[in-house]
Amino acid sequence: MNKFLTRIGKGVGKVVGTLYQAGRETIDQIIKNILPFMAFIAFVIGLILETGFGNWFAEQLTGLADSVIGLLVLSIIIGLPVLSPLLGPGAVIAQVIGVLIGTQIGEGNISPNLALVALWAINPQVGCDFIPVGLALGEAEPETVEVGVPAVLFSRMITGPAAVLIAWVFSAGLYT
Amino acid sequence: MKGERVLDTLASWAEEFITIFVEGGNVFVSLVVGIVPTLIVLLTAVNALVAWIGPERVNKFGEWAGREGFAYTPIRYLIWPFLSVFFLTNPMAYTNGQFLPEKYKPAFYDSAVSMVHPPLGIFPHINPGELFVWLGIATGIETLGLRLSDLAVRYILTGFVVIYLRGLVTERLTAIMWARQSTGSAA
Repeated sequence: MNKFLTRIGKGVGKVVGTLYQAGRETIDQIIKNILPFMAFIAFVIGLILETGFGNWFAEQLTGLADSVIGLLVLSIIIGLPVLSPLLGPGAVIAQVIGVLIGTQIGEGNISPNLALVALWAINPQVGCDFIPVGLALGEAEPETVEVGVPAVLFSRMITGPAAVLIAWVFSAGLYT
Repeated sequence: MKGERVLDTLASWAEEFITIFVEGGNVFVSLVVGIVPTLIVLLTAVNALVAWIGPERVNKFGEWAGREGFAYTPIRYLIWPFLSVFFLTNPMAYTNGQFLPEKYKPAFYDSAVSMVHPPLGIFPHINPGELFVWLGIATGIETLGLRLSDLAVRYILTGFVVIYLRGLVTERLTAIMWARQSTGSAA
């Protein structure tokens, strides 16, 4: 009986411990990653909404972001092998453009039907800044890195715009 | 009289200036109140789940992913990247490339790194630092009062298609460049 109780106690303790640790990790992530970015984004949105920048940007962006063709062009530009590694770090560019387009969707300047296409158009460069490190993490040989970097970059030139078209197909009936 | 006009102008500038930050503050509050509580609970649950299952059990899957041949491409460029990102998150997920032969590593990295955003609408724990790639556009949808899960589901589904395609294309390009480089160095 005693043994049984000890086992239950240990089991419960382990479960509670894991959950507690998970909670601690979560709060860490919120404080270290999520809240700082929310502060930054809140400032950007405040600036967009309260200054003329929002209207100016809307004019520039709606030319590009309010049609599938425009978004395709955007993805081709972002996916260029010269630009993609520069636009990658921290996904800051993708996040800021995402917020700008999201704000325009919220204000009715861009159709919500394009939301999925836009999600892909702003992100053909994902991870392009990190290829050598990412490959090294996977214990790749130096020769693999040498071949892998251009292979991924050129692949994005194809799959970036292709993703926009695939997203366009998947957008059928979305928010219409 | 003139001094009063100057002061008036200055005051209206100050007002303009501060409204930017008042508005930004409102946005911040709506983000924190609207998103953070759910996110905390969800992240806690998923973090606990990941800890219980453990990376050891996931690693057994890596042997499958390392096998050669076209039949294993869905495992290599879809299931394995998803499991890696789900359990190890960004950037540790890329260490799972170690189970694969060298020629598949660039394509695996491409698939895995592309997997860190499309599931964000459903599994935000995989990349909380880059949440706004998804959330920026999602916030616009929410402002319009539309159902967000429609977009979240489509984002992850298109993700699977695009990521599988990306794996195949990059594998092909890697093979081509490898051949070109080895002939180049031989000549």
